[in-house]
Amino acid sequence: MKLPNRTFALFIVTAALATLPWWAGDLYKLHLAALICAYWVLIGGLNLVVGYSGQLSIGHVGLLAIGAYCFAILAGTHDVHPAFAIVASGALCALCGLLLGLPSLRLPGFYFAMATLAFALIVTEITLAQGTLTGGGVGLSVPGFPPPFDTPRGSYWLILTLAALVTWLTWNVARHTWGRALVAVRDSAVTAQAVGVPVFRAKLTVFVFSGFTAGVAGALFAVLQSYITPDTFVFDLGLFFFVCIIIGGRGHILGPAVGTIVLTALPEMVAPLAKLGNFFYGLLLLAVVLLVPEGIGRVFELLLQRLRSRRESHVVKPDLDRLAKAIEHGRSAR
Amino acid sequence: MLVALITGLATGALYAAAALTYNVMFSTSKVLSVTTGHISMLGGIFGAWFISTLGWPIPIALLGSMVVGAAFGFLTDLIAIRRVLARSDEHLWLLSTLALATMVQQATGLWWGTEPKPFPRLIPQDFSAGLADQKYWLPIAIAILLAVALELFYRRTLYGKLFVAMSEDPFAARARGIPTGRIRAMSYVIAGAMGGLAGFAAGQLTFAYFALGLTLTLNGFIALAVGGLGSNVGALVGGAALGILSAVATYFVGGEYQQTISVGLLMIVLLLRPAGLFGSQTVRPV
Repeated sequence: MKLPNRTFALFIVTAALATLPWWAGDLYKLHLAALICAYWVLIGGLNLVVGYSGQLSIGHVGLLAIGAYCFAILAGTHDVHPAFAIVASGALCALCGLLLGLPSLRLPGFYFAMATLAFALIVTEITLAQGTLTGGGVGLSVPGFPPPFDTPRGSYWLILTLAALVTWLTWNVARHTWGRALVAVRDSAVTAQAVGVPVFRAKLTVFVFSGFTAGVAGALFAVLQSYITPDTFVFDLGLFFFVCIIIGGRGHILGPAVGTIVLTALPEMVAPLAKLGNFFYGLLLLAVVLLVPEGIGRVFELLLQRLRSRRESHVVKPDLDRLAKAIEHGRSAR
Repeated sequence: MLVALITGLATGALYAAAALTYNVMFSTSKVLSVTTGHISMLGGIFGAWFISTLGWPIPIALLGSMVVGAAFGFLTDLIAIRRVLARSDEHLWLLSTLALATMVQQATGLWWGTEPKPFPRLIPQDFSAGLADQKYWLPIAIAILLAVALELFYRRTLYGKLFVAMSEDPFAARARGIPTGRIRAMSYVIAGAMGGLAGFAAGQLTFAYFALGLTLTLNGFIALAVGGLGSNVGALVGGAALGILSAVATYFVGGEYQQTISVGLLMIVLLLRPAGLFGSQTVRPV
């Protein structure tokens, strides 16, 4: 009963997302949807780091910036084919993730968060300083995708496909041995080590993977923005990715996805929220941490459980006949 | 070169003050609050507002800044720490203080404006004083004053001894009848007043700028980690080392790589001495 339901829901969502260009209305909404998918490529990978293995990285915007600049420089300045440039940005960011993760993943929670924060600031500093390569404060213009994907619809479908791919990859990681190992690392590193999880290697592997997806997301993001400056990659953006995951719920995939959609779309739809910007994100984060630390996803899970459990009755009814017989039997035996 | 050294020492003194603020909050709650830098940011901005806009006399404005800082410290404990410490998830305090810091920074940016505004002169002095200018020695004097006052407070007063007891073993402290919750709130109020004072004293160096908080949180933390968590002498030494190193590097390499250099210092110290220069070795959590 449960499985066809889920397949059906998956089918509906896929169909709705694939046909979005026809019912979304204007081009801006389509652009917004593509942006959400590009964010999700990053957040999906980051979810394994933050949501599953519990490493609080608030500086992934640095990796996003590296990916975006790598794509802009390769595809724009050196005329490399965009498909190759996307893979190259992913690979470069995976390497940067490795270099960042090697020292910093050994550090305890707050130290690690500060190291990633510092990494994001360093990337901004270097993009400003290396003016000949990155255009400094003036920025770089980014070329579009090649012909089949050069229309808004085409690029949306390309980005949607990549987002679906990342979702599938992270889902596969999360529900098998690796995901369990990561959750064990998050909940108690000592216990995980005691049962034979290679703690540091597990953390480093997902961190490098999240670096790769961040690089790909950076390339897609750069194309959507069509012009990038160091100011595009403010620290607040890194905080936004982080907040999406925490609000959606750690240890889920659907929760952060909903979080990404809602947090990206809400400020665009409700104008006063856009003015408040970070204040709104901070307030939301505080409310979630204080009220439901497991995230909104957990709330839905509990509601679902409650709905389901109402169907089956747990009331214990005494079988009086049998009891009477047993007592009778006991008496006669004596 | 001398200018670079003095500027570095003054900036380093501000980082040291932030590190001391971290220390006071850490001693009672084992929490490294992300709001640490934002306390000093509020101290600087409210100081400028009290003096320039409201026209308060300087001593009253100084007191006002400290009260604002103390109030924010109390609020941090009330909102972001108290409920979270009751649960046993070690990461939650990082999230709650980060959320509070983000909210405060954005709210200040909306109210005060995102441009740095000048901080008024505190002591009548000619602008041609050069290296003897008050904007250099005020933060240095305040950082040293705070460190000395903290040491005296820890060693000579009953409440200071309660702080030390809580930092050594909170459970034992509670078993001996110490109201741990109230002492923690008190430590946050004291830390807030300290941060407000430091932000007020360094206002002429940093200007009244809303984004100062995050920089100060990061650099204060680097100073603390270099000097050793929990050590006040370490905080002073770490702050001074960080400030001088980045100023000298700026002098030789140029200002573009300041952050890279300070993080490089942190990484080197953490690799060589994970507990910091003056920190005590921690026991493995098995």
